[in-house]
Amino acid sequence: MKRLLSILLCACLLLSLAACGEQTLDPDEANKLVIWHDKEDAVIAALESYLATAVPDLEVVFEKKTSLTDSLKLVGNDPSAAPDMFIFAHDKIGVFAEMGILAPIESLLEEGALENYLPMTLEAATYKDTLYQLPLYFETLLFMYNHRYMQDEEVPTTTDELLAYMENNTGRGRYGFVEQHSTAYYSAAWIHGFGGSIIDDTGVPFPDAQAVKDALNYHSQFVALMPGETEYNTVNTLFLEGKADATIGGPWMVPSARAAEIDLGIAPMPTVDSTGKALAPYSGVQGIHVLNFAAEQKTEAVKKLLSVLTAPTIGIDLALASGCAPANSLCYDDERVANDELVQSMRTTAEIAVPMPNIPEMDVMWTVVGNLLTDVNLSGKDIDDSFDAALAQANQLIDAMK
Amino acid sequence: MKNRKKDTLISYAWSSPSLILIALMVVFPILYTAYISLTNMNVYHWFDFTVVGLENYIKALFVFDSGFLSALFATILWTVVNMILQLVIAFVLVSLLNIQKLKLRKLYKTFLMFPWAMPGYVSILLWKTGMFNTQFGLLNQWMEKLGQETVRWLSNDVSAFICCTVVNLWLALPFMIMIMDGAMQSIDRSYFESAILDGATWLDRTRYITIPAITPIISPAVIITVFTTFKQFDVVYLLTQQAGAKTGSGFHTILTYAYENAFITNNYGYSSAISIIIFILLLVFSAKYQMKEEGDR
Repeated sequence: MKRLLSILLCACLLLSLAACGEQTLDPDEANKLVIWHDKEDAVIAALESYLATAVPDLEVVFEKKTSLTDSLKLVGNDPSAAPDMFIFAHDKIGVFAEMGILAPIESLLEEGALENYLPMTLEAATYKDTLYQLPLYFETLLFMYNHRYMQDEEVPTTTDELLAYMENNTGRGRYGFVEQHSTAYYSAAWIHGFGGSIIDDTGVPFPDAQAVKDALNYHSQFVALMPGETEYNTVNTLFLEGKADATIGGPWMVPSARAAEIDLGIAPMPTVDSTGKALAPYSGVQGIHVLNFAAEQKTEAVKKLLSVLTAPTIGIDLALASGCAPANSLCYDDERVANDELVQSMRTTAEIAVPMPNIPEMDVMWTVVGNLLTDVNLSGKDIDDSFDAALAQANQLIDAMK
Repeated sequence: MKNRKKDTLISYAWSSPSLILIALMVVFPILYTAYISLTNMNVYHWFDFTVVGLENYIKALFVFDSGFLSALFATILWTVVNMILQLVIAFVLVSLLNIQKLKLRKLYKTFLMFPWAMPGYVSILLWKTGMFNTQFGLLNQWMEKLGQETVRWLSNDVSAFICCTVVNLWLALPFMIMIMDGAMQSIDRSYFESAILDGATWLDRTRYITIPAITPIISPAVIITVFTTFKQFDVVYLLTQQAGAKTGSGFHTILTYAYENAFITNNYGYSSAISIIIFILLLVFSAKYQMKEEGDR
């Protein structure tokens, strides 16, 4: 019995010592890359098809995660459970970089690989002067209209023209223009149009208070001519059912609009008359991020994958497959991409679009701005009082983050 | 004496699997949350957090401001109103279901259980879009048919409270009906027959036989429902406070209020401190209720 016990103890000791030794990956494991994502099937199919021919020696496994960010928060530093890379919008870069799970990617890229990337996409992918994401494509809001009700010559070029159009074409169950007027993502365009912003790079909320108040005040005239509901389904359904002549929406609306046989037109964002600035929506840059473990243990595989993803081919494939706007400007030289009205409109909007802030503090600002807009637009509260309350809440929440 | 000790040990041994399961699923998360509440676990110290003592609790006191107090009051009102309505409606429906010679009884019971079969999330969003939506909801279509102005049902505190209560009742009634039905069917029919012979009315029978007989059986269900109603989040949040779909109502329960004022900060230490305070609040309510129950007995 004693002998058996001592053998068992020795075996345990040896196993623990073995576990303490340096872990090396076998070649199969080193060439396998697991990528989490939350993208639509068309995007992933295009990536899978491209990577199968571009890097046949790598085994790339795409896994769809519905709550990707929450899952990463839980297992981001656990190599046995975390992915090697993930595809997501750039706005969570600050959170993950501060958590310490993201690897800077500049050293993993070939020299000059980013030369042709649109500046806006690289700006979005950078946090505290470090690049944490290889941008693939971007999305931004667009001014869309239904040709059946709004003729090309009626398309407003300024916000006052838009207001006049709404006044003349709203009533009896019809709307001249609808948007998700009380959500931060959509209202940011109006705030930017007045020269304001929701938060600055250093985490200060509403750096130009007067610009935000002016935007809220001016925008309230438009809100009065839109439905009380501000959520995605109501606004989209109104446009898709032909009950609204125009809207501001994302490229994700286009397939539904085409399926609903809407004669869709896309126009540049109107300019605010008083400031001369166009409504500048947020842009979301979708790209690939590398986790620390993969950057250290699977360096060659990661470098190989990133290298092929910087080629214009994949950007063109993605644009053709799902109508998204590539981050690499060389893609726009392709004739098929150049002729795509939707993609070209997004590229044009990219020149004025503001990348969503990627600092961690932005996480709380979505709620703060949502509350401010709800108070002003839906509850009819005083703008100054509501703004003061929102600023106080923003400061309290930002302070509570630390 | 030795045998008694042995029996006790054997009882614990038999119960140990379930005790371990309860410890893992209930006790461990509470203890872990309490531990995290004493640390600085947040975005900036996600994996390298350290114990900071009661710092988070001191910070949490700022959340318990006038907004929290009004949310606490609204939560108590919400719980009381929902419980009264649930008990009354369930009692009436179960009484109707137990009418002798009632035909298709099982069919009615199946229909009444239907809301339970649907995922809560789906039910709530169906109510929001299908019934309360200003543009497409059934209520406003009826209003238009009646020549009335359309109404934004979820836009002010009172109407949002009523709408949330209706949806909560829809979701919670099947459970109460099932428990109450079982309790009512367990009453010996001879009590009612004797009462009828003595000339007791339906009201007398209800007051002196039905209610006293079902009370001890439905008590655990009532206690469970009180707590699920008190810590309700889904109904209120999804109907009125969902990010990107806020309706303008300021109606908050303590959980939706804590969510908006703490949980979104990604500061797990701070959020855990608030969770523990809410947990203690619930414990106090529970203890008060239990003491009242003991006193009544």
